[in-house]
Amino acid sequence: MNYETTWGNTPAPAGQKPPMSDGYDFSALRVLVVDDSFHMRELVRTFLEGFGIKEVTVSSDADEAFDLLINSDPDLVITDWNMAPVSGLEFVERIRRGANVPNRFVPIIMLTGYTEMKRVEEARDAGINSFLAKPISAASLYKRLVTSVQDKRQYVETTGGYFGPDRRSIKRREYRGKERRGDA
Amino acid sequence: MAETRFLKPQKHLSQKVRRGGPSMEQAILKAVNAADDLIGQYQGWAVDDLETLWQSFVETSRTGRADPVRLKELYDMTHEARGQGGSFGFPLISVVGDSLCKYLDGLPRLKTRDLDVIRVHIMAMKAIFRQGLKGHQGELSKELQVLLNAFRAKIAEQQAR
Repeated sequence: MNYETTWGNTPAPAGQKPPMSDGYDFSALRVLVVDDSFHMRELVRTFLEGFGIKEVTVSSDADEAFDLLINSDPDLVITDWNMAPVSGLEFVERIRRGANVPNRFVPIIMLTGYTEMKRVEEARDAGINSFLAKPISAASLYKRLVTSVQDKRQYVETTGGYFGPDRRSIKRREYRGKERRGDA
Repeated sequence: MAETRFLKPQKHLSQKVRRGGPSMEQAILKAVNAADDLIGQYQGWAVDDLETLWQSFVETSRTGRADPVRLKELYDMTHEARGQGGSFGFPLISVVGDSLCKYLDGLPRLKTRDLDVIRVHIMAMKAIFRQGLKGHQGELSKELQVLLNAFRAKIAEQQAR
């Protein structure tokens, strides 16, 4: 499977500016990928490097990844859920609790085959920023990266113990129409 | 009542990412091409993983040891296959893996009829690899999904009697 493309390589007509690319330059990002499956880890790393990201660090377990996170302060974490002895969910909670973590606001994408609603909610309540369901593709990963860049949510800390991105959807927060609750 | 504090991150991804890199299509094609070798190797190691799943199943059938630990082991291996199949160009493996995960998820222990369901699913995955069925194979992906759903429903109905 090998594809070639000349899209975007065609020079703009004389006197006209080339059209703005719909792409992003991710090259300055530093990403930490955590997955206990060697093959999935390598696939994600290869896709990210294909997108132009120069610094991709990989780890096969959450304990090691936590040390890497403390020492390397990545801009983005992509973690699998189903790992042992420390699961991806516990890893996320550890980051958000923040002891010794350089940036507990670091965006986290949870990469998992679990897609049931109760699992999605569990991951959200642990403090992930977004969810990427396996099987993955280069396109789904790219789109998730773009979503992460565009995500401008503030973070929330509650006395109930939650720390992470605001769990209310942007649409709901920006709703300016008539509040109909309680109208009945 | 829990108190809530709103915080704005000091750092944001947008500070390190700018618009105007390669187009989305170019970036994706470059990534797919870069992963070509990895994807090409998938069938080799996935067949070995499937054999491990089959052996676990055979052991379960032989000993009748179908406790929650063994059940979780079978589930975890199937869950891996489900996630990997489509990621490496074999979505039919994900379809079959997803069906088996749905069946195993929440089962307290395995009964005889459950072993039949597991056998059929693993044999379907073996057939997909044996025939080298990459991609969605036209309508086959949907048809397989419908058939497996019907099969699971029928077994569940028999179990309920």
